[in-house]
Amino acid sequence: MAFAVEMVGVSKSFGPVAANKDVSFGARKGEIHALVGENGAGKTTLMNILFGLMQPDSGEIRIDGKPVVMDSPRTSIGLGLGMVHQHFKLVPSLTVAENIFLGMEITKAGLVDRKAQSDKARALSEEFGLQIDPDRKIHELSVGAEQRVEILKVLARGAKVVILDEPTAVLTPQESRDLFRIIRRFADAGMTVIFISHHLDEVLEVSDTVTVLRDGAVVGTRPTKELDEDTLVKMMVGRSVNFDRRARKEISGETVLELREIFARDDRGLPALRDVSLKVRAGEIVGIVGVDGNGQTELAEVVSGLRAPSHGEIFLDGKAVEGSDPRHMREAGLAHVPADRLVRGVNAGASISANILMGRQQEAPLAQNGLIRWGKVREFARELMQRFDIRAKDETIAVKTLSGGNMQKVVVAREFSQHMPLLLIDQPTRGVDIGAMERIHDEIVTRRDAGAAILLISVQIDEILALADRVLVMFAGGISGEVDPTTTTEEEIGHLMAGGSRNREAAA
Amino acid sequence: MSVDTTPTPVRSSWRMPNWLESILGQLIALGIAIIGGAILIILVGEDPILVFTTLLRGAFGNSERIAGSLLQATPIIIAGVAACIALRGGLFNIGVEGQLYMGGFAAAFVGFQFALPAGLHMLVALAAAVVAGGLWILIPAFFRARFGTNEVVSTILSNYVAILLTSYLTIDVFKRPGGWSETDPVATTAYLPQLFEFSRLNFGLFIGLALAVGFHLFLTRTSAGYGMNTMGANMKFAEYGGIAVKRNILIILLCSGAVGGLAGGVETLGVHHRFMEGFAPGFGFDGVIAALLANGSPIGVIFTALFFGALRAGSLLMEVETNASREVITVFQAIIILCVSAQILLRRRRDSSQGERRWKF
Repeated sequence: MAFAVEMVGVSKSFGPVAANKDVSFGARKGEIHALVGENGAGKTTLMNILFGLMQPDSGEIRIDGKPVVMDSPRTSIGLGLGMVHQHFKLVPSLTVAENIFLGMEITKAGLVDRKAQSDKARALSEEFGLQIDPDRKIHELSVGAEQRVEILKVLARGAKVVILDEPTAVLTPQESRDLFRIIRRFADAGMTVIFISHHLDEVLEVSDTVTVLRDGAVVGTRPTKELDEDTLVKMMVGRSVNFDRRARKEISGETVLELREIFARDDRGLPALRDVSLKVRAGEIVGIVGVDGNGQTELAEVVSGLRAPSHGEIFLDGKAVEGSDPRHMREAGLAHVPADRLVRGVNAGASISANILMGRQQEAPLAQNGLIRWGKVREFARELMQRFDIRAKDETIAVKTLSGGNMQKVVVAREFSQHMPLLLIDQPTRGVDIGAMERIHDEIVTRRDAGAAILLISVQIDEILALADRVLVMFAGGISGEVDPTTTTEEEIGHLMAGGSRNREAAA
Repeated sequence: MSVDTTPTPVRSSWRMPNWLESILGQLIALGIAIIGGAILIILVGEDPILVFTTLLRGAFGNSERIAGSLLQATPIIIAGVAACIALRGGLFNIGVEGQLYMGGFAAAFVGFQFALPAGLHMLVALAAAVVAGGLWILIPAFFRARFGTNEVVSTILSNYVAILLTSYLTIDVFKRPGGWSETDPVATTAYLPQLFEFSRLNFGLFIGLALAVGFHLFLTRTSAGYGMNTMGANMKFAEYGGIAVKRNILIILLCSGAVGGLAGGVETLGVHHRFMEGFAPGFGFDGVIAALLANGSPIGVIFTALFFGALRAGSLLMEVETNASREVITVFQAIIILCVSAQILLRRRRDSSQGERRWKF
């Protein structure tokens, strides 16, 4: 049977970075096809190309076997494609029906026929069991219901191929199950569903076929029934550059950071951390691995004081930490390299020296009597630029003009040079080139050898295995196991990343 | 959340320095405003060249008129610095008008109610204005810091309360005998010294200039100023970096309100020497606009405030000598505001990928 939609040899680069490399995959009529991969694997770019939001550098798109050019979303909608984005595009003050027919209103004698719109929306909703009242205002709806309105919008435009980009990211587990039921009905009705996710359990539950992307290229396409979570993890995470294992010393330091039975909720109020307990000793790197989105972000936020745990205690040097305040944590000895440097890590519009100054603006030698000694600051910034190999014209240029790698080195330089006893490092090398990566790894080891306690979080397993003295694996907000990085196998880590046998039962 | 990282293509082309871009933008805004104003003047049947030259003459025609422009600019400079303080901390104080009224009344009250030695009396009255302005923003500031309530709305609303409250106090409680809606005159011991015989231009101008320069130095030279500037540029970075964001929000808004109050005190003690109902029409709002126009730069505020002051002063002569009404000036200002807001939006869109957030309407 021919593919309902097919992409053949699609490549797309942004500057020197290849987002998609010779990607080919196809989805059949009546099939739920999952597209999985880690963040940055190229899923969203690929779907944007399919939907006509971006043009590929090379490659072809075929609908029902016929080559087409998707020059705009209008074209792709005309060809029966529909996309439900991660971020909803609805007008909160309008009703469901008005939103669905926005831009394609049903009119009678030149006026909008609200009744007809409402009836048609209701009919569509009932056909697929979406349970949406077309006359409600959007702002009265839950997130899950808003998503179903987005789906209705796509259906009302006659979609035969529905693309769902990370649809469950905003949903509660119950809403997710409802969604799976709905998309199964689409497939039964002969439509094609492309389902983007990095949650393996969902993928295995809902899809018929899985295509795995890694670093912009297709790792493989397999029927779901031939797959299990461990295999999927292995395909997703892969075996890329193998770092040398760094030399380790015997660890005998005191416990610097301890978390006891930490529970926390995410921004949506859903449980994100469940009963996390861990210790980091001086002179030790504790690595955290896991498929992205299993609580690592919230863990970093709790440790840095940016998120208050709903239960549990944090101890620094044996003393309980009171309240949740980044300033307090820093005063108590924490330095922090955040996962998203542009959001939190830098003041992008300010100079390198102004960014280096953060956290030191009150103390000698860079400040005196409440005044900043800019001469000293610039001198210090130049020194760090030298030591951390930050490539920029000079220390006065704005951080936003630097490459990602150099920007990250500014953050690393600022945080590492504070010589704090505790270092929290979240995704140290995300979006960083190989040269900068090695430089940053060297510095992490240097700090460890100088006696710092380091909690290192990364989605790069290789990075964790190369640097960490102990490795904890996270799954579904909890720690599913600890492995010894010198002896562990990919199978063992992959198994734990997929929940491990013990925890899978507990989670079910 | 999987937002695939889409690297921005490297651009090597030269980009205008921010300050140059900013000034160029203001000049374009001014140009559009002049054209728009000219069209309006033609529509009411006047000669735009004549109207504009009269406006210029009214603002700068002789030393008396120049002093008049400076006199009008004085409260706008101070109110503008008040607005800048909030802006540079990543906040908005649209309640400068109300703080100015409260400060003006407090200064007048101290001025007519107490007898103190010359000089000291003035200082106490100004201090009362500062305190009144600070108190007037306390509620919005507390709710912003504690619960994240949008301070734009709460400070705007506080304006009306202040204007009507001072109006009530003036008309009902402290009304001077006679027909005017004003309080007793302030004792001469509390007057701000005048600079020249021929004008009411007073020492307040120097207070405004000193505040602007002082705030500029605070931002660029001090540790606390660094923290504040960082909050304004990227609140999340400031929080992550250990700056006491919540506490600072409270302090910044209180300072902004206090300076807003001072603007009213200076106007009362330097110009009117009593509190009159509606004594300072729109100075506070002009200050906010002057600050926005200056992109939050206190040094820039000196110039934008002088510009607004000159417009106000010039419009007096324009109204006498031509058929154009003072409203032309309002339209003129409105067009400038539109142009500047458009620039802010464009800039914000351009910078949104970089996590910047200074303007957040």
